Amino acid sequence: MSVMEYNGAAVMAMKGKGCVAIAADRRFGVQLMTLSTDFKKIFQINDKTFIGLPGLATDVQTLSELFRFKTNMYKLREERDISPKTFAHMVSSALYEKRFGPYFCEPVIAGLEKDGTPFICNMDTLGCINHAKDFVVSGTASQQMYGSAEGLWEPDLEPEELFETISQAIMCAVDRDASSGWGAIVHVITPDGIITRTLKARMD
Amino acid sequence: MADRYSFSLTTFSPSGKLVQIEHALSAVAQGVTSVGIKATNGIVIATEKKTPSFLVDDTTTEKVTLICPNIGMVYSGMGPDARVLVDKARKSAQEYKQIYHEEPPTAILVKDVASVMQEFTQSGGVRPFGVSLLIAGFDETGPTLYQVDPSGSYWAWKASAIGKNMVNAKTFLEKRYNETMEIEDAVHTAILTLKEGFEGQMTESTIEIGVAQIVEEVSQEGVRSKVGRFKKLNAPEIKDYLANIA
Amino acid sequence: MFAYEQQQQSSCPVKAPVEHRFSPYTDNGGTTLAIAGDDFCVIAGDTRQSEGYSINTRYAPKVYQLSNGAVLATGGMYADGVTLVKMIEQRLEWYRHAHAKEMSCGALAQMLSTILYHKRMFPYYVWNTLGGLDEEGKGAVYSYDPVGNYEKHKWNCSGSAGHLVQPFLDNQIGFSHQREKPTLTMERVVQVTKDAFTSATERDIYTGDYLEMFLVTKEGIQKTLTDLKKD
Repeated sequence: MSVMEYNGAAVMAMKGKGCVAIAADRRFGVQLMTLSTDFKKIFQINDKTFIGLPGLATDVQTLSELFRFKTNMYKLREERDISPKTFAHMVSSALYEKRFGPYFCEPVIAGLEKDGTPFICNMDTLGCINHAKDFVVSGTASQQMYGSAEGLWEPDLEPEELFETISQAIMCAVDRDASSGWGAIVHVITPDGIITRTLKARMD
Repeated sequence: MADRYSFSLTTFSPSGKLVQIEHALSAVAQGVTSVGIKATNGIVIATEKKTPSFLVDDTTTEKVTLICPNIGMVYSGMGPDARVLVDKARKSAQEYKQIYHEEPPTAILVKDVASVMQEFTQSGGVRPFGVSLLIAGFDETGPTLYQVDPSGSYWAWKASAIGKNMVNAKTFLEKRYNETMEIEDAVHTAILTLKEGFEGQMTESTIEIGVAQIVEEVSQEGVRSKVGRFKKLNAPEIKDYLANIA
Repeated sequence: MFAYEQQQQSSCPVKAPVEHRFSPYTDNGGTTLAIAGDDFCVIAGDTRQSEGYSINTRYAPKVYQLSNGAVLATGGMYADGVTLVKMIEQRLEWYRHAHAKEMSCGALAQMLSTILYHKRMFPYYVWNTLGGLDEEGKGAVYSYDPVGNYEKHKWNCSGSAGHLVQPFLDNQIGFSHQREKPTLTMERVVQVTKDAFTSATERDIYTGDYLEMFLVTKEGIQKTLTDLKKD
């Protein structure tokens, strides 16, 4: 089994009308054995930026600490919050630095730009960025998420509609993946603040 | 040895001075005058371009330089030292761009250049830079003008002058500067400031002018956006400004 | 003479055996789907036939209307699918001769499993989905792996975009994670099927060109063809 499937994860992000949402499952397991059901895979970078880190759990935690360090240093140096787009390039550079011994993680970034424009992207383990106008997915349930999101997403969703869409999309996707699931967490980023909800799901 | 505390730049004199740095400032004070003015919608930097002989092809010398698309700088003092700093500043800008895929904010670039200059006041086997810099940039916070000295200290200015005639030039700027000035006005004022104590004929080939301002750009995808850009004025443009002074 | 000797020296004195391999299997891609309603059944499949990154043809139906009124969707290796359908038709005819009636959908489901398991050691490389109406007139869907393992469902999707479409069906047909569980009309099922295939076409390179749908009701079977993206 590949390292990317060792712990299992499902992360996705979606654009809405003046808002973005990012969601992840909460399972931490070793191959087929589930060890915990409240594992953190999404990390808040600042008021308007989140990163989801699906992949090998040790790299998830190492990278979350690395990006905490880098964004804190950025804020001290530049006296401003890093924008989602700039942060995406920072993550990309950090991953490419390990081109020949990569972190086993394919990040998803979601946020609102300074002017309120929604931003989402995902990347591979080496930092190759993929921008999307609708949604991005990553993790062991990526195929299932592509299918459910492609079928459920529509343009210009309001924050509450976006929440419902991303929740339904991730829940029915992880139900068809043995390596991810066991509950989910959703963050909706709006100009007025963050809406965070944890979802109860099938525990099998 | 006339002064026991001037042999090493890392040694303080009993009065708490680093004499080598003061000597570096003297080198700057002998350099050709440069001015910088902040306008409401941009920054103007200008300098006199002096050649030791009229036989020198003055089209090849450049004192106002582009660091990255939104930042430019000018120096007073030793030309060769300035070129080292230009190289380092350009490299720093490219390194920033390689990580973040965007132009560095002016403040960040200034900090980087200033730390290089500071390092040369404290390291072994080197001497301080014999230059002061005026750095003009336009980023998302707007236009900013910085001066960096050989010690590595830097400040943001509304208007400043460095070099031989800096005292007179600053007095002149204090009289002429106002906060509502726009770029056109600022170029005008910069030229007038240089004219104070200008030796010889002021022509489009004996001064250099650079401007940082907002321009509209169209990306490869056809998206229009307003961005800060630094550009040098070409000879005909300078000639037009000079004609208006008369 | 010299040249001859040189040639002798440089040529290999012993003929090394050269291995040639033949693989009896290939995957021709494509996605199939079946949804059972209260008194109807929808069975659908795209018509693209691929091999690697090439498209052999844009219209090669892999969903077959069988003579007993059931519909069989085949995915995987096209040639094995065709052969399997021939086999089944032959068995259906024998059944008619022996019993003077059509084979029921449930009986066919069991028979298909047996046929597949008989080739346990050299299987038909086909993922089958069988759809039709059971003895009570209710919609019935059965899905199979290549060696005859089968299960009865309300809905199923298999093939190259099976992983993409199945969770979407769980949500839109099974109403998973939803409070309301309304009764499905055939119009709704047809719409969900079309949406599922347009979505799958968007993300799966092996799915596309046309969507062929069979709508099974007690009145009979209606076949429709819908355009899908061809890129």
